[in-house]
Amino acid sequence: MLLERNKKEFINKWEKRVLPFLLLLPAFILILSVVAYPIGRAIWLSFHDFNPLKPFESKYVGFENFFKILKDKVFFIALKNSLIWIIGVVSFQFIGGLIGALILRQKFKGRSLIRGISLIPWVTPGILISIMWMWMLDGNYGIINDILLRLGLISRYIPWLAQKNTSLFSVMIADIWRGIPFFAIMLLAAMEAIPEQLYEAARIDGANSFRIFIHITWPLILPTVIITTMLRIIWTANHMDLILIMTDGGPGYSSLIIPLMAYHTAYKQLNFGYASALALLQGVFLIIIVSLYLRLLRKKGGMY
Amino acid sequence: MFKKSNFLMYLFLFLTLIILLTPIHGQRKTVIKYWLWLDDPTDPMFPDLVKQFNSLNPDIQVEYELIPLSQYYDKLVTAIGAGTAPDAARFKDWWIGAFVDAGALEPLDNYLKNWKGYSDVISNLWNTGKISAKSPIYMMPHQFITFYLYYRKDWFKEKNLPPPTDLNKFLDAAKKLTDPTKNRYGFGLRGGSGGQDQWLAFMVAQGARLVDRNGKVIADSPEAILANQWYIDLYRVHKVAPPSAPTDAYAQVLGAFQSGITAMMAHHVGSSVLVTQKLGEENVGVVPMPPADPKKPATMITMSGNVIFSSSKNKEAAFKFISWLTEKEQMDKWSRSRQGQLPVLKSVANLPYYKNNIFFKVSLDQAKYAIAWPPLPGVGYISAQLWQNLMQRALLGEITSKEMMEEIANALRKK
Repeated sequence: MLLERNKKEFINKWEKRVLPFLLLLPAFILILSVVAYPIGRAIWLSFHDFNPLKPFESKYVGFENFFKILKDKVFFIALKNSLIWIIGVVSFQFIGGLIGALILRQKFKGRSLIRGISLIPWVTPGILISIMWMWMLDGNYGIINDILLRLGLISRYIPWLAQKNTSLFSVMIADIWRGIPFFAIMLLAAMEAIPEQLYEAARIDGANSFRIFIHITWPLILPTVIITTMLRIIWTANHMDLILIMTDGGPGYSSLIIPLMAYHTAYKQLNFGYASALALLQGVFLIIIVSLYLRLLRKKGGMY
Repeated sequence: MFKKSNFLMYLFLFLTLIILLTPIHGQRKTVIKYWLWLDDPTDPMFPDLVKQFNSLNPDIQVEYELIPLSQYYDKLVTAIGAGTAPDAARFKDWWIGAFVDAGALEPLDNYLKNWKGYSDVISNLWNTGKISAKSPIYMMPHQFITFYLYYRKDWFKEKNLPPPTDLNKFLDAAKKLTDPTKNRYGFGLRGGSGGQDQWLAFMVAQGARLVDRNGKVIADSPEAILANQWYIDLYRVHKVAPPSAPTDAYAQVLGAFQSGITAMMAHHVGSSVLVTQKLGEENVGVVPMPPADPKKPATMITMSGNVIFSSSKNKEAAFKFISWLTEKEQMDKWSRSRQGQLPVLKSVANLPYYKNNIFFKVSLDQAKYAIAWPPLPGVGYISAQLWQNLMQRALLGEITSKEMMEEIANALRKK
């Protein structure tokens, strides 16, 4: 009898304390191997001199890689470009997406068709977008040059991707174009969830559309705004597919951003240590920026 | 307990298992993993060759993987680092220095001793597989290109210009054929991805060298700096290249020549079909790389060959495959395909098909004096990224020719 009860207790305990961990184990192992290990490896690499062609000749160098970065002029060019890239791309994508969402929310004929079509830039693979925009921006026979010339806005063809003062902005335009639907759809979903009574009440009280937007729509979509912009900041900071294909950071360093610099250092210069240090610094910057951003907006968004 | 039907089922399963397992034991094959890039991945030429080889050699199974050239170097580097390199691979002379330095490539001399085609290879092409005059051969030459110059015959005739057979005539014609108001430029300068080969052709054609005969780096010599300055001036001073030149890569340079924006383009036999198809054979002229001094012609050669990695466990079989690829019939088939470059075998180069084609002929004639990138570890980095960055900054006026050549020299000197 006593034994029986002990057994039951034991099973009970086991089920409560051990089983959950056992069930979590597969996921835990998976996360450990695909997230924790690479991060640990990157940290390890950033303190070493590591050439992938000679994996057994790596050398511990302490903080040397980080000191070198702080003296590296190219790093600061890339940092500046990264900031322009992130802030420019995300804010214009957001503004475009917000306008898009407000338009798509109106009732008009063929709305669902337009909603579907508007997603195309977002679902097109980066390589296609890059090649498409590369030829549209081409300095010898690009359609953008042709249109601007016919409109009389420019007097001769401009090599958008081959000039240092236009190359980064040209790629930014392509990326902004790509990201607008993401914001539009996310914001649209948030707007659709707002109860119609609130609008009715406001209209009865005589509020105009602008005031309705400021006092009803905006506060209620703010949580979505915060989370989507944060995600987009992280993605935009890390994605380099468009830049890699359209300019490869050029001409010179004029469109180089930090992840691309890390890629060049790792795979073209075969200096994995320095590249990991760059990537790690970018990660730290990103954490700082995102947490500042969240703190800034949580105060406003917290009440809802 | 043991029902009859159960027994029969087990017996059946057991027998199937045996049948399934036997063929694997019966003919165990040596599997050779081979990596390559193809300019046109839809070309059935290579899969056909592999099928043919596998059926000729029932004991060997070649499994190949196609990788785009733009990712090829990254992939190889990663594979070597991770210990997952293939047995053999298509390879470029640019990378030999770095890979030999890491001990990743197998010397081929012992295998080549018994290879019957050895003397059929154009003799100075063996040098493209070595890292110095006395080093072993690490890469088996296979397909190569030499840079020559295309020019628009019709435009030259219109302006009564002689063919650009030396650099003075080249520059003179380039200036006279440039007219930005008509969107016309003399020369398609390639400052973007892959432009280093074209640049090296113009450097050596002016008599400048990156290393001297003893292998000493002289890329920052006054001659080299001047030669580089001449090249930069084509864009900055004479403005004979399109404004998009700093980032123009192959597609843009080819497109500009095909669509009548540029009058001259430096490239190799790989584009001859595309160019003549578009512009008509009568309008396209070709001359060897124009030298500064007509008595000292020089141009750039680059070799695609085959290597065996020292980590391979099946080197004999791997050599059998890569040497088979280099034999006459397979070589001819490859050179005539859409990947077509110049054959390294004399017996193939002498076939009428190559002798009677002006583009092949000019290219092959240049093989005698063509110069390759020096086989130093730094060349991998220079050709993958450094050159492009430096040239773009030089074209934009951010750095001088001297600063550019010093950086290249430093990269070449780096061990």
